[in-house]
Amino acid sequence: MDTETQRKWDEASRTFDWLTFADDHRLGPHKRRLFSKIRGATLMVAAGTGNDFKFFPPGQRIIAIDISPKMLERAAKKATAYPGTIELREMDVGALPFPDASFDTIVTVCTFCSVPKPVAGLRELYRVLKPDGQLLMFEHVRSKIGPFGILLDLMTPLSRRLGPDLNRDTVGNVQKAGFRLRREENVYLDIVKIIEAVKG
Amino acid sequence: MYFTIGDYVAGMFIGALTALSVRAAVWPGMDMVIAMLLGMGIGMVIHLVLGLVLSPWLGMFETMMPASVIGMYGGMFFGMRDSMAAGSPTLTAAAIVGMLFGALVVLGVKIYNRALRGAVVDTGD
Repeated sequence: MDTETQRKWDEASRTFDWLTFADDHRLGPHKRRLFSKIRGATLMVAAGTGNDFKFFPPGQRIIAIDISPKMLERAAKKATAYPGTIELREMDVGALPFPDASFDTIVTVCTFCSVPKPVAGLRELYRVLKPDGQLLMFEHVRSKIGPFGILLDLMTPLSRRLGPDLNRDTVGNVQKAGFRLRREENVYLDIVKIIEAVKG
Repeated sequence: MYFTIGDYVAGMFIGALTALSVRAAVWPGMDMVIAMLLGMGIGMVIHLVLGLVLSPWLGMFETMMPASVIGMYGGMFFGMRDSMAAGSPTLTAAAIVGMLFGALVVLGVKIYNRALRGAVVDTGD
């Protein structure tokens, strides 16, 4: 278990809901649209405080993991309110204790901006995804637009101390891990994206 | 509607504060390059601080991206104007120019966002 990352997100859990209040409202409809594609056994990576559970379609059976026990404590109440089954488990995406090909769908929301070794984490997702499974991601990435990209590079040393990196190439990392892109959609500029991938 | 109005109000506030701060730091006759660099630095500090403060109410990227353009480019623009004494004659006028600049940048980013939004890759699987 990566204790440094765990400690950072335990700290962040105190203010997480407050800091993401507006993003939840602005981006929620896009998340709901993405999550409507969930099918079968589903793994959610980095559940956080459970803010995104309300965007899941009802009646699903989902295992939601997070590296931070403090985040999961806050997520527990929201998991109970979900009209389906959400099982919360403390886990590091870099070392998942699931057998190969366990899940039909894997969901991430602003996860691979924070995972210290993103390609290794994505390879682990590749391993536990069934051959005909799907990876549904809602992520922010480094902009390819000059001034925005530079700004995100400049802000990353600061943002990394409190939470995520702002300049990750998550689309490229997904492909490096062996996935094949099914869909890439810009949600806000070319920074907030929906990424759908399948096994290559 | 709350977010749309909020985006413009935030942009106008950051623009006005940048314009007034640059006015306080740059004097007529200052070397223009130094004035522009100073203005850009001031604008970046303002956008970082206000962007972080406003993010929980308006969304992180929707606040930070327009704010960065207002801070960086607005700061340079206001620094250039003030060093040439071509700027607004009063502080009120400077603030109004800053607000207009902020509102225009927010509008521009919204139009750009509309152009970029949507599928980049879609294999149809």
